[in-house]
Amino acid sequence: MARVAPDLPLRANLSALDNIALIPLYQRHYSAAESNRQAQQFLEQLGHADIALLRDPDMTAAQRFIAKLARALILRRPRLVIDHPGAMLYDVPYPSFIRQLAAQEEIAGTWEIYDFSWNQTLYNQALHPE
Amino acid sequence: MSFLAASIESLGAKVAGWFTVGYGMFAFLAKAALLLLDRTTWNRATFDVVVKQVYFTAVQILHVFLGYALVISWLIITIILSTARDFGLTEFASEMTIRVLVLELLPFLTALFIALRSGSAINTEVALMQVNNELDALAHCKVPPMQFEFLPRLIGGVISVVTLASLAGLLALLMGYLAIYGTNAAGFAPFTQTIAKIFDFKIMAGLLVKCALFGLAVTLIPVTAGLETPKKLFMVPVSVLRGMMRVFFAIVAIEVVSLALKYV
Repeated sequence: MARVAPDLPLRANLSALDNIALIPLYQRHYSAAESNRQAQQFLEQLGHADIALLRDPDMTAAQRFIAKLARALILRRPRLVIDHPGAMLYDVPYPSFIRQLAAQEEIAGTWEIYDFSWNQTLYNQALHPE
Repeated sequence: MSFLAASIESLGAKVAGWFTVGYGMFAFLAKAALLLLDRTTWNRATFDVVVKQVYFTAVQILHVFLGYALVISWLIITIILSTARDFGLTEFASEMTIRVLVLELLPFLTALFIALRSGSAINTEVALMQVNNELDALAHCKVPPMQFEFLPRLIGGVISVVTLASLAGLLALLMGYLAIYGTNAAGFAPFTQTIAKIFDFKIMAGLLVKCALFGLAVTLIPVTAGLETPKKLFMVPVSVLRGMMRVFFAIVAIEVVSLALKYV
């Protein structure tokens, strides 16, 4: 299971790209160039190629979430769990934000969201905006 | 009576604490040594981090370090030469210079220099990683922190201290020659004979081991001190303070043991 969670931060002294590229570089022993290419591809798929060189403290909450999400996606695990998104996406209406990301054509698989039950109405609004 | 009991209890707790810290450090070192022998450790990613570590620890500060070594060497050589002249012992000046500077003072100062610059940075960074849960995040991504974060720092520290101490030593030899014989090539034979007499295999091996131990001390101790940090941000300065005190005592202990083995 890959988790995107507030208690799993990015490495603060690495850029978003390096945080994501670390996984193919370390686990699959790809070259640095190939790992960076794969990491950049994930950021492009999520529509945030411009955050590649930003480090954690220089990112907005949404950008940080994207970097964490790309890191979780590149792990290629069967389950992807987004744990308490409200704690990570405090500056955007997050149910619709996550929905938009998940709707990207290239993104495969199902994402599970764990959130407080009292936030259910936010998800209902995102699913039925009218 | 209760005061005595409390004092004994406090002393016992301190001694037990030292043993725990010592055990933790040696256990960490043993784990690192075992990983060094593991074939999977030696991948491109680890190699890249080692290169980066050597760059930040040694290459980035090379000009400042060599300037500092130059000034210190010049001062010590001048003091040794003038003292030797005053006592009519000029023929021993070159040997004295090599023994004091190249074998003892420069490796010690190199270790202090790296400890203050890189050791404190490593301690702070590891403590912050521990407090911020970054190590857990790496472990979740199956990127082993030992291979990715710690082992390259240990290897980089050893390589950096050995290399910088060697460069400073070579610079001191050059300075020593120039101070004693000037630009006259006539002194080359006696000077190289003195060098050959001092640097036998035992001394060379001892110097190498001492520099490697200095390199380990200035990286291993800050890493383990950082890992001991409780997950509270206000504990980071305390962790750095403890780590740097341990580094200082370790460097002094290595130097004292090395001197005792050579001269006592």
